[in-house]
Amino acid sequence: MSSDLPPTSSSAPATGLNPAERLLNLVIALVNTNAAMTKQQVRTAVAGYSDAPSDEAFERMFERDKDMLRALGIPVVTVGTGGHTDELGYRIDQDAYALPPIDLTPAELGVLSLAAQFWQDKTLQTDITRAMVKLRAAGAGDPSADALAGLAPSVRAVGDAYGPLMEAIEARRVVTFSYRAAYNGAVTVRHVEPWRIAARDGGWYLMCFDRDRQAPRVFRMTRIESRVRVTGPAGAFEVPDFETDAMLGKTHGEMRHAVVAVRPERASALRARAKAVPDGERTSYDAQLTATAGALAGDPAGWDILQVPYRSLTGMASEAAGYGAALVVLEPEAVREETIRRLRAAAALGDPPGTPGPAGPASAGSTTRTAPTEASHG
Amino acid sequence: MAERADDRLLRLLGIVAYLDGAGPVSVADLAGRFGTTPAQIQKDVDALWVSGTPGYWPDDLIDFDAASIDRGVVHLTEARGMTRPLRLGTREAVALVAALRAMKATDAVQADPARSAVVESALGKLTDATGEAASAVDVRLAPGGDRQVVAAISSALTNRHRLRIRYVTSSDVVSEREVDPVRLHTQDEFAYLAAWCYRAEAPRTFRVDRILEAVETDVPVQAHPGEAGAEIDFAALFAGGSSPLATIRFAPRARWFAEEVPVESVRNLPDGDFEVTLRVTNPGWLRSSLVRLAPLVRSVSPGALADDVAGSASEALALYGAGEVGEGGRDAATSPDHH
Repeated sequence: MSSDLPPTSSSAPATGLNPAERLLNLVIALVNTNAAMTKQQVRTAVAGYSDAPSDEAFERMFERDKDMLRALGIPVVTVGTGGHTDELGYRIDQDAYALPPIDLTPAELGVLSLAAQFWQDKTLQTDITRAMVKLRAAGAGDPSADALAGLAPSVRAVGDAYGPLMEAIEARRVVTFSYRAAYNGAVTVRHVEPWRIAARDGGWYLMCFDRDRQAPRVFRMTRIESRVRVTGPAGAFEVPDFETDAMLGKTHGEMRHAVVAVRPERASALRARAKAVPDGERTSYDAQLTATAGALAGDPAGWDILQVPYRSLTGMASEAAGYGAALVVLEPEAVREETIRRLRAAAALGDPPGTPGPAGPASAGSTTRTAPTEASHG
Repeated sequence: MAERADDRLLRLLGIVAYLDGAGPVSVADLAGRFGTTPAQIQKDVDALWVSGTPGYWPDDLIDFDAASIDRGVVHLTEARGMTRPLRLGTREAVALVAALRAMKATDAVQADPARSAVVESALGKLTDATGEAASAVDVRLAPGGDRQVVAAISSALTNRHRLRIRYVTSSDVVSEREVDPVRLHTQDEFAYLAAWCYRAEAPRTFRVDRILEAVETDVPVQAHPGEAGAEIDFAALFAGGSSPLATIRFAPRARWFAEEVPVESVRNLPDGDFEVTLRVTNPGWLRSSLVRLAPLVRSVSPGALADDVAGSASEALALYGAGEVGEGGRDAATSPDHH
């Protein structure tokens, strides 16, 4: 793996060639060879390899160098040498590694450089930096940042699971990890076929086929509690065609409207997307407010009656409850009930005289429920 | 830290491929192009000069014009066939394509046809060059907020104009401010406007979905002290410093709260519940959050905070004519809550 390669400054062989220079000579040799070079030819002829102290050391060095070249997008191909022996030959096919002509304007290159700041993970930043070196080597001009002046898009760090997951998705290999389920907090070991990772609303999700459950599943990556290990052979599965949002269950519900009464000057963030109910249509709402709140509400004319669009019932009720006594839900009944349920639970948290204290965790909790996905999210 | 062998190899090959097409280039320009120092470019040229095909006789080596080097110009005279730039690896393509797709979908880019066109064409050329675009990573950033607000911010940033905004804080307090916009940070959860605020006479960050109204003025932005770099440290923004601590015990389904809100610590309990400790920097926000999440909240301490939450909820319940605390709906969570 490229990650455990030594830096260029570490123990260079006796000739004084450091690893980068040895690799450079290997690439030049394998690009220019007529047919292919055998391992023995590499060892004796390519600068930097002759000093390997043993056969084993040479084998290790050569295998590691091939891995590193592959990671950089320079595949070393193996061919039969056509002689009497079974010995394999190696060469690099320039057509296989060459970048097709790509003519980027300074503005387009500026957009690409912005991508380097998009990622917070070191490993992804390295990927972008390498891509930029390749594009600059292909002749791209100086990037211009003007096109997206002042914009700074970024996504939160994916974490260490990114490397092994990308490796597994690319090679179609199975991964295992231990995972803390959100519906009961239990940690179990999972075996999954990874399909895609996605970021939505501040969370990273792994979409995959769960071999233990024999069904497609979504895992929230922050709840992966172990290293992700890549196991089993390559090509172990196919990745189906699917929509990220559909699998996450984020396809939005139908747009509906709630009617709420709001104190003047309050709940401004909600007002920003609301519409006032015209005076002519207020009568029944005013009556409803007076009927439930009584004297506490005072003159209904002192409240604003607003129509608020929403898609998620629980989301609307949660928002309404958060405004406390600044807002009263008038309709629909389902939102009103859900809001009251939250307020009741909140009212029971304190210990004012005459009300029962909060129920103990053991008694009130633990109704066993199963979640449709492993990562419960809204 | 010493440079990694693979990164240096990439540059060595890049220098040869670039010079083959570009002709003589100054050491300084090469350093700029490959993001390194002139001294490092000199070392790279020295290494290239002695590299080549086995045999390593003078005709086997990569070669440069010696007289030019003395003038600080790198002039490649023999490339030993290393003229083709490297294609992008799968991981590199994935990282670029996923970032560009996410940028393309942001309101700030969508609001401006010129910007959309640039991102679109960069994405097109990139996918042409990398072949089948990898769908292994799919990122969607937060919606920016009101379309007119985002358009005004976006335009003010381009034209470097002062903005007049009406803003509501998480504690539901509205204010009008004039600000010099510095940068629009679109993140995965929220978008933030970093700006110099004339009301606070200090740099401030505003959550874009709480900007109720934004008007671009024709006053040019000015330079302000302490704004240089203006990189926002979001962790610092939310760090509570010496604010008092609160401890909240949640049912497992509220786990996203611990994942999305900056907390001091999270303790997993044997029965699957978990306990979060956080700094109370914004009591209004915390009270409101706890009411919203109440069915999943097991307990709150200190007691004064719990009473505060309960008191505000009781006051609201009275308006619903539901003042009695019945059998609270605790933990009957019908569906996971989010935001």
